[in-house]
Amino acid sequence: MLRLQQLTRVHGTGATEVHALRGIDLDVFPGELVAVMGPSGSGKSTLLTIAGGLDSPTSGRVIVENTDITTADRKTLAALRRRSIGYVFQDYNLVPALTAAENVALPRELDGVSARKARGEAVAALEEMNLGHLADRFPDEMSGGQQQRVAIARALVGDRRLVLADEPTGALDSETGESVLSLLRARCDAGAAGVLVTHEPRFAAWADRVVFLRDGAVVDQTVRSHADSLLSGQAAER
Amino acid sequence: MTNWFHSWRAAVRIARRDAWRFKGRSFLVLAMIALPILGVSALDVTLRSAELSTTEKLSRSLGAADARLSDPEYGGVAIEQKPDGEDYRPVGDYDNKPYPDGPGDVSKGFPAGATVLTDSLGTAKLRTTHGLLQGEIRELKATDPLAAGLLTPVEGRLPQKADEVAATTHFLEASGLEVGSALAARGLDREYRIVGSYELPGDLKANQVNALPGALLKPLGEALDKAGMTGVDTDTTYLVGLKDGGAAGFTWNMVKETNAKGVRVESRAVILDPPADADVPLYQRPDYQRWESDGPLGKEMLAILATIVGLAMLEICLLAGPAFAVGARRSRRQLGLVGANGGDRRHIRAIVLAGGLVIGTAAAVTGTVLGIGLTRALQPVLEETMGKRFGAFEIRPLELLGIALLAVVTGLLAAIVPAVTASRQTVLASLTGRRGVRAASRVLPAIGLVVVAAGAAIALAGSLYTTQPTIVAAGSALAELGVVALTPALVGLFGRTGRWLPLSPRLALRDSVRNRGRTAPAVAAVLAAVAGSVAVATYAASDEAGQRAGYEAKLPYGVGSVMVREGGGRDVSAVRDAVQRDLSVAVRADVDRILVGRESCALWDSKEGCGRHEIVIPKANECPLYVDTPDGSDPAEKFTVAERRKLGQDWRCKTNDTERVFTSESGLVIGDAKLLTVLGIKDPGAARALADGKVVSFEKPQRDKDGTIAIRLITDQEAADNAQAAGKEVPGEIKKLAAYQVPDGVQGWGLAGIISPATARTAGLATAPLGSFFTTDKPVDSEQRQRLDGDLDRTAAGADLHIEEGFVGESNIVLLSLTIFAGLITIGAAGIATGLAQADAEADLKTLAAVGAPPRVRRTLSGFQCGVVAAMGVVLGSAAGVLPAIGLRLSEARQATADYEKSLDQGFVPDVPHIPITVPWETLGTLLILVPLGAALLAALVTRSRGALARREAA
Repeated sequence: MLRLQQLTRVHGTGATEVHALRGIDLDVFPGELVAVMGPSGSGKSTLLTIAGGLDSPTSGRVIVENTDITTADRKTLAALRRRSIGYVFQDYNLVPALTAAENVALPRELDGVSARKARGEAVAALEEMNLGHLADRFPDEMSGGQQQRVAIARALVGDRRLVLADEPTGALDSETGESVLSLLRARCDAGAAGVLVTHEPRFAAWADRVVFLRDGAVVDQTVRSHADSLLSGQAAER
Repeated sequence: MTNWFHSWRAAVRIARRDAWRFKGRSFLVLAMIALPILGVSALDVTLRSAELSTTEKLSRSLGAADARLSDPEYGGVAIEQKPDGEDYRPVGDYDNKPYPDGPGDVSKGFPAGATVLTDSLGTAKLRTTHGLLQGEIRELKATDPLAAGLLTPVEGRLPQKADEVAATTHFLEASGLEVGSALAARGLDREYRIVGSYELPGDLKANQVNALPGALLKPLGEALDKAGMTGVDTDTTYLVGLKDGGAAGFTWNMVKETNAKGVRVESRAVILDPPADADVPLYQRPDYQRWESDGPLGKEMLAILATIVGLAMLEICLLAGPAFAVGARRSRRQLGLVGANGGDRRHIRAIVLAGGLVIGTAAAVTGTVLGIGLTRALQPVLEETMGKRFGAFEIRPLELLGIALLAVVTGLLAAIVPAVTASRQTVLASLTGRRGVRAASRVLPAIGLVVVAAGAAIALAGSLYTTQPTIVAAGSALAELGVVALTPALVGLFGRTGRWLPLSPRLALRDSVRNRGRTAPAVAAVLAAVAGSVAVATYAASDEAGQRAGYEAKLPYGVGSVMVREGGGRDVSAVRDAVQRDLSVAVRADVDRILVGRESCALWDSKEGCGRHEIVIPKANECPLYVDTPDGSDPAEKFTVAERRKLGQDWRCKTNDTERVFTSESGLVIGDAKLLTVLGIKDPGAARALADGKVVSFEKPQRDKDGTIAIRLITDQEAADNAQAAGKEVPGEIKKLAAYQVPDGVQGWGLAGIISPATARTAGLATAPLGSFFTTDKPVDSEQRQRLDGDLDRTAAGADLHIEEGFVGESNIVLLSLTIFAGLITIGAAGIATGLAQADAEADLKTLAAVGAPPRVRRTLSGFQCGVVAAMGVVLGSAAGVLPAIGLRLSEARQATADYEKSLDQGFVPDVPHIPITVPWETLGTLLILVPLGAALLAALVTRSRGALARREAA
């Protein structure tokens, strides 16, 4: 689903040069939720933005659904974000001028799907996640947890199978945070692939695998439980 | 295609909701676009409604009749006319003789069995509650079916008996009378009762009284004749209704037959369906020149209109652009989210552009609907102002759609630059809120420079090598567009001056310069408005200076004159009394005029028994350039240019063409020594001459070698006109009077000469009172002037009053309103830019607050930000405005000099042209200093000083 190969990212040049990522390798498979942890400045967010094609690496390759996005042009990248990759940020994930359903339908509508059809898909996606009652609410009429869950719904609408979540629970209290993560977990169990950036071990526990970053390099990887991974399929054999 | 449509729908939805969420900003932009649209659409509806269709016009002029027949006064000879009857000529060759004159018999033209309704019009003085009022008397049986539509009854009813009249509402208002009052005409010892009021749909301001045929005009004319006054001039036309409605109406063939009987026809059928040009005999004449107006708007007018609309749209775009930029900047996070969800650059562009589309469309709808509604609501007021009723409330959907489209286009154009800028931001930068300062484009200044150079070259060439102001204006407009494009680069130059400024202004200046993307449009908007205003102000000030220098007084400063040219001069004493009563008159010199013919003859009266006089210039004193030639050729052609120039300086040819108060046909008046005093003529010889019974002559050529002036009294005016046309001696008795010529340099204020009353009597000249010249103890103030104007109106004598007040400039109000306009635009544009800067500066302000800056820094900063934009705009705009005005003046000066030289070649000696260039320092000063200062203060006042890092209030 997502493959990062020897990924490096250098910000600035000369005296201001900063190595944000140093030769990262990472694979994420369908049905798998990978948590990325590390201290501030370890390169977690950079990893996520490069993986989603919002930033480009200094060297290395990013392959999403068999497409090398490091060489793709802007249009292809935008199309990829519409059809393959979903983002969830820490807060303010929803376009304030659109209702929940319209927010979820946005990538589909941008893709040229008719408003009616896009809305149908969006409402179906919301209902599947038990959020159907929020369909016609505007973001400022929803709680933070509700907004994040709608954002997850949007990240997975259509044929999208990859969710990149950057501290999605950062602005939420722990109970709401749990509910958001349980939704994310459920989507991954249903076949999506997810990358979750967090610095809370409690939330990382929801993941199949935890990758630790420090100074732009992977320092450790743990598997949640061997039995679990066996149950969830191929991940553990890797 | 469908993809494009669906993604635009999403964009429009976001833009629409955003517009609603930020109501204040949206309303501001909407108002900016909608106001001009409102004005233009209201204007369109008003003009179209006031424009009458042919049927509507016919209903107002013909009522329900098939035709109106009238007498062309050519003595009944056959005529040829244009299909609409507006132009007509007698048939035959009149190359060397005047047209026949005299009444014809219209009744010969009445078709058999037709119904005929007379419509007679005359003027008379009617007694009102205030005095007398000159009014029209219309004798027409208005209740007749043929007259339907000619006048609209308003109150009461139309007259049915001979002692009843109806009057127009305007007449009732002006006269102070009302329905039920009694009305009388001066000179007729009889009263009429006003039984109703009406209005003329085509002339709401007419002072007209309607009576039954024969009820008023005839008795009044007879009474006046009996009293020795001239009667009432009556013009009678005939409305004709054909028998059985006449299936084809009054056809062109019938018109031609009627023309043959010497009668003019205005026919409904012909006007609705005009004949081919080949069928119009008048058009077939070799000497006939058709004069057709080229529609309401000429090409030049359209070009000017298009330029104004274009410049107005540019101005609105420049003003509204930053507002969209603020919107895009504020919703950066939202645009980033769209990007993160797969929004491409074109989607981001679409969302910001959709903002322009939404507001443009809303402005289009609001503007047009309000424009139509307002016109409808104000229809009666508009009709009163224009003086005529609308034909029908007419809405032209296509035209209004075009106007509304302008609003949509303006909205879209204004959003283009912000849209492109927003779409260029990377998704990451939008999401993280990083502020990137983009390098300014190098293409735009380059284009700007080229356009400025081209425009300036055209304007320069225009002012130096041609005499056509349009070229200068076009070049200047082009150069101004170039300066607008150059603005970002020019703004950069200002940044260098910042080093020595204190913190707040330095911060403001740096911020403006670093963020040229938002500063430049605002500065450009100010620049464009200021440049336009300064250009017009400079031109107007220069023009006024020229007019002041070229002003010719009609009379010495402070001296007044009042003249009445009516028959008999019976109102003159009332007029003189009014002057004496209302003004503090110091000296009043009464003047009379020479009268030829009956006592009741007015000046230039062509009635039976009335004549005129003229001064006979001795042959030896005639200017060779202007002598009459028997063959009618131009005598000047016999001379070379050099000879003409020399003759132009000859005393015989120096025309006394000064501005003057009109007195009598020749400029001769009867008056005494007091007149010399009033006119400030100090020449002792003149006073002595008057006492000695000599004519005081102010024009050298009129005095013969033997020291006399010859006055010809013409009693048969027709014979005189014929003789003159044939270049023969004009018949008439000649009176020779001894004359004294004033020395050179003594000004006669346009009078040809003065004859003392005793001399006139001795010479056997009949006279009639004319009026007075007067001086006053103190200057006449506005209140006295108004009172006198009112009193003169009430005498209904048609008195001409002139009080010499020297040059009175009119353009001050124009200059003032231009200054205010430019000031408002400046403050508005600077305010928008400041709002934009504030949105950006939040982070800086937080930092400032964190390092201990007092809260007022926030205010001063925004004040300076506003001031900086305003100052940059007015400095650049003033420079860009003064130059084209100077160019325009230079081109005018060249034109005037060329005309002057041409006149000299012809033998005329006009005044030396004086085209000064004056810089309106007051206007410039206000714009350069007061406006930026005011903008800065205003911005500082409306900015909240609390904000970043303010402590939260305890709940």
